[in-house]
Amino acid sequence: MKVSRKVLGAAIGALLAGTVSAYADTIKVGIIGPFSGPFALQGKNFQAGVEAYMALNGKSVKGHDIEVIYRDLPAANPAQSRALAQELVVKDKVQYLGGVYFTPDAMAITPLLKQANVPLVIFNAATSAIMTQSPLVVRTSFTTAQTTTPLGKIAVERGVKKVISAVSDYGPGVDAEVAFKKAFEAAGGQVVEAIRMPLNTNDFSPIMQRIRDSGAEAVFAFLPSGPTTLGFVKAYNETGLKQAGIKFFAPGDLTQESDLPALGDGALGLMTTFHYAVSHDSPENKTFVEAASKAIGGADQLSFPSVGAYDGMHVIYKMIEATDGKQDAQKAVDAVKGLSWTSPRGPVSIDAETRHITENIYLREVTKGADGKTYNKEIQTFPNQKDPGLATQ
Amino acid sequence: MQTILSIAIDAFAYGMALFIICIGLSLTMGLMRVVNLAHGAFAMIAGYIASYAARDLGLGYAVAIFLAIIGTVIISIPLERLLYRRIYGSPELTQVLMTIGITFCIIGITNYFFGPTLKSIPLPGSLSQPVDVGIRTIAGHRLFVMACGVVVAGGLWYLIEKTDFGIKLRATVDNAAMADALGVRTQVIYAISFAIAIGLAALGGVVGAEFLPIEPYYALRYMVTFLVVVSVGGAGSIPGAVVACLLLGAVDTTGRYLMPEFGNFFFYAAVIAIVCVFPRGFFGRAQ
Amino acid sequence: MAGVILIIAAGLAGYWLFPDNLALLTRVIAVALLVLSLDLITGYCGVASLGQASLFGAGAYAAGIACVNGVTEPVTLVAIGAVAGAMAGLLMGTIMLRAHGLAQLVLSIAIVQLFHEAANKASAYTGGSDGLAGLMVSPLFGVFEFDLWGRTAYLFGLALLVVVFVVLKFIVSSPFGMLCRGIKQDPVRIRAMGSYVFPVLLKMFVISGAVAGTGGALAAISTQVVGLDSVSFELSANALVMLVLGGLGTLYGALVGTVIFMGFEHVVSAINPFHWMTMVGALLIAVVLAAPGGLTGLYETLLGTGKRAKGGRT
Repeated sequence: MKVSRKVLGAAIGALLAGTVSAYADTIKVGIIGPFSGPFALQGKNFQAGVEAYMALNGKSVKGHDIEVIYRDLPAANPAQSRALAQELVVKDKVQYLGGVYFTPDAMAITPLLKQANVPLVIFNAATSAIMTQSPLVVRTSFTTAQTTTPLGKIAVERGVKKVISAVSDYGPGVDAEVAFKKAFEAAGGQVVEAIRMPLNTNDFSPIMQRIRDSGAEAVFAFLPSGPTTLGFVKAYNETGLKQAGIKFFAPGDLTQESDLPALGDGALGLMTTFHYAVSHDSPENKTFVEAASKAIGGADQLSFPSVGAYDGMHVIYKMIEATDGKQDAQKAVDAVKGLSWTSPRGPVSIDAETRHITENIYLREVTKGADGKTYNKEIQTFPNQKDPGLATQ
Repeated sequence: MQTILSIAIDAFAYGMALFIICIGLSLTMGLMRVVNLAHGAFAMIAGYIASYAARDLGLGYAVAIFLAIIGTVIISIPLERLLYRRIYGSPELTQVLMTIGITFCIIGITNYFFGPTLKSIPLPGSLSQPVDVGIRTIAGHRLFVMACGVVVAGGLWYLIEKTDFGIKLRATVDNAAMADALGVRTQVIYAISFAIAIGLAALGGVVGAEFLPIEPYYALRYMVTFLVVVSVGGAGSIPGAVVACLLLGAVDTTGRYLMPEFGNFFFYAAVIAIVCVFPRGFFGRAQ
Repeated sequence: MAGVILIIAAGLAGYWLFPDNLALLTRVIAVALLVLSLDLITGYCGVASLGQASLFGAGAYAAGIACVNGVTEPVTLVAIGAVAGAMAGLLMGTIMLRAHGLAQLVLSIAIVQLFHEAANKASAYTGGSDGLAGLMVSPLFGVFEFDLWGRTAYLFGLALLVVVFVVLKFIVSSPFGMLCRGIKQDPVRIRAMGSYVFPVLLKMFVISGAVAGTGGALAAISTQVVGLDSVSFELSANALVMLVLGGLGTLYGALVGTVIFMGFEHVVSAINPFHWMTMVGALLIAVVLAAPGGLTGLYETLLGTGKRAKGGRT
C-alpha cells in the first residue's frame, strides 16, 4: 500500500514537473579558491562570505536548493584551475562557477564558459583584462586601478607634491603603480621615482634607504597582503621614515584587517583606499560581520575577500532567481547587468557594459579603537567608482 | 659614505638573522648528513610557541625565547626517535621525501589549530625603540639579532673546537664506526647534535621573526633561502655559514638598494658565480 | 613492449572510467612527462635537480608565444616546445654539470629562480604574473577540437606520452643509456675507460629538456594559458617528490609516482579542501617508512625479483 502511494506521488510529481518548476531540485555552485597553502587565509574568507550569505538568506532560491562545492587551488596555477573548472562543470554538473583569487586562474576558466553554458562570478581576481575575455564573467571584487585611483587626488589634497612609488614586481603591483601615477600626475603631483621590488623580498631596509634618498614627501606602496606587508610597514617605522614625516599611501591590500594585529601600533596613521573595511558602519555590515565571523571562527581572521564572496553569492542567487533554475548562462548574466543593491561595503551595482562592480572607494586611516585594537577608520568616501582600467579600453 | 655604512649595517643584521636560522640546518646536513628540509618547520613551531607565550600569556620576551627553544626541542624528540632515526644514512633523496612529508604535516596541523593569520611576537620596549648609533637610527631588535648571531657563532665554534663533546662529535662525523669502537656513544652524540640543531632553529625562528614573519606557510616559503645559504657556505662549516650569510645578505641588501627591480637576479647570479668558483661551498669538506 | 601496452591500456581505461576528469588526466600526463625528464638525469645519471621546471616552462612559454603569434597547429607547437626545452636543457646542463652534489642542487634552484624572474620581467611576451592567455589552438589534424570535455587533449597527450616512452625506452637501454648508468655509479671508472663524462651527461640533459618541453607544450595547448607556475621552484620540487615516490631509475617509477601523487592529492583535496596537506605529508612519510626505494622498489621487493642494487642507494 505504502509503495503504491509513493509511486503515485512520484508520478504526479513528474507530471507537475513538466509544467511547474517548483519541484525541489538542487542547483550546484562550484567555488574555486586558495583554501590551503600560502593564501589559505583568503580562501577561508571566500568560504566565510559564502556561508554568511547562505546563513542569512537561506539555502534555497524559489524552491531550488543550493549546494556549494569547494575546490582548492592553493596558488596561481592555470592548468589546475582549468582542470578543476572542467571537473566541476562536467562531472559535478555545477550551473555556476565562483571564486578565483588569481588572474591567470580566471584566464584559464574563461575559454570554457561558453561551451559549458556556465557563468563565472569572480570573487577576487583583480586585473581589468579578465572581463574582456568572456561575456559570461561578472566580478564582485575590485580592480587595483579602481581602488588606487582616488589616492592620486588625496595625496595632492594633503599637500604632497613629490611621491616615490614602491610596488611589488608583479602584475597587480605594476597595475597599481600605473594607476597611481596617472591619477597623481593628473592632479598635479609628480612621481619622482618608481621602484619595483621582487616579491620575495624579506628585508625592506634598503628600499627604505632609497625612499629616504629620493627626497620624496610621501611613499606610495603596493604589496600583496600577508607577510611581505608586515616587513614593509615595520621597516618604514624602524628606519625612521615615519618620524621624518614621510607620508604613506597605499591601496587597502596593505592594511587588511587580519594583518593589523601583527602590524600593531606601527600601522597607526597609514592611509589606504579600498572598497571595504570590516569596520564599515552600516546595519548591513553589522549583520554580515557577525555571520561571517561565525563562519570563519573568529573576527580577527576576517578580510576583504569575504565581502567579494558575499556579494558574489548575492549575484549568483539573483541569477538563479532570474533563470528559475534552468541552465542558461547568458540569461543569467543579462539578468544581473545593472543590478544594484546595498552590500556590506555600501551601495554597489553591476555595470551593464563591463559586468564589473561599481562601488564606493573609501579613504581609511589606521586608528586605535576604544578596545585598544587598531582598525581601518573610514574618513572619506568616493562614491560610485567604476574600473578606470576598463573605461579606457 | 653614510649611505654605504647604513646599507652595511642593514646587510649585517639581515645576514646574522639568516645565520642564526640556517646554522642548525648546516650542522644537520654537514655533520649528521641529513637533508632536513623540515628545518624551517621547527623554526616556525618555535615562533608559534613564543607568540603564544609572549602575546597570549603575557610573559617576557626572554622567557618566550626560552620556552620556545625548550618546547620545540621537546616536540622534536619523538620525531627524531620515530622518523629521523630511520633515515640516518639513507640516500639524500629519500631524506628529502621524508622531511618534505614532515613539513607538509606540520604546515597542515599548524593551519588547522592556529589558523592562517600572521602571528606576531611582541618585543620588549627596549628592543622595539629605534637606537641612535651615530650615523643613523637603527631598530633595537636589529642590534639584538646581530649580538645573538655573534654569540651563537662564537659559542658553537667553542663547543665544536674546544670541548670534549666537540672532539667526540667530530670523530663521529669522520668515522662513526671507528668512533663507536673507541667507546664514543654515537647514538647519544647524534641525539644531542640533533637537539642543538633544532634549538638553534627555534632561536632563529623567534629572533628572526621580525624579518621572516611567522605564519603556517613559513616552513616552505623560506626553505629555498635556507638551503641555498647552507650550501653556499658549505654544509657543516661554521665559518662557511657566517661568510655565506654575510656575503649573500650583503648582495641581497645592496642589490635591492641599487636596482630593486633586478634584486633576485643579483642574488641568484651571485649564487651561481660562487658555486661555480667554490663547487663545495666556501668551507665545504671534500666528500 | 608489454609496458607500452600496459600504459595504453591504463590510459584508455582512464578515458572510459573518468570521462569527466579528462582535464585533470591531461594535466597528469603533462606532469608525467616532466617527471620522466627528471628521471633521465636524476635516475639514470645521478644528477639531482630542483630546477627541472625551467625546462618544462621553456617549452610551455615557447609553445604559448608561438601560438599567440599565429602558429596554431598543435603538433607543430609540441615540436616548438620540445626544441625550446632542449635548448634550455643545453644551457642548464652546461651550468649544472660544473658542480657536484649539494652545490649542483643549489645551481638548479638558482637557475629555475632566474628563469622565473626572467619570465616575470618579460611580461610583454609572457604576460608576467597575469599569465599568457588567449591561446587559440587550431583543431588537431584540422578535425578534432580542443574543447570543454578535453577528449582531444587527453588522447593527444596519451599518444605523446606513449611515443616519448617508447623512444626513451630505446634510449635508456642503448649503449648511451648504459654509459649514463655507469657514470652514475662510478664516474672515475668511466673516465678511466676513456670516455668523456661531460658530453655524455650534457646529451642526456638535452634529451631531458626535449621531453620536459614536450610536457610544457602539452600543458600550454590543453590549458590555453601559460602561467608563471610552469617555471616555478614549487613545480620542480613536486616533480622530484613524485619521482622519488615512484622510484628512481625506472621509467615506470616516474609514471607511477606521478599518477599516485597527483591522484592522491586530487582526491584528498576534494574531500577536504582546507586541510588535505597533512594527508599528503603522511603519505610521503608512510612511503619512506614502508618502501624506502620508492613504490616500484616495493613492488619488486614484494615479487621477490628486486635487484639488490635498486633502492636508490648511490
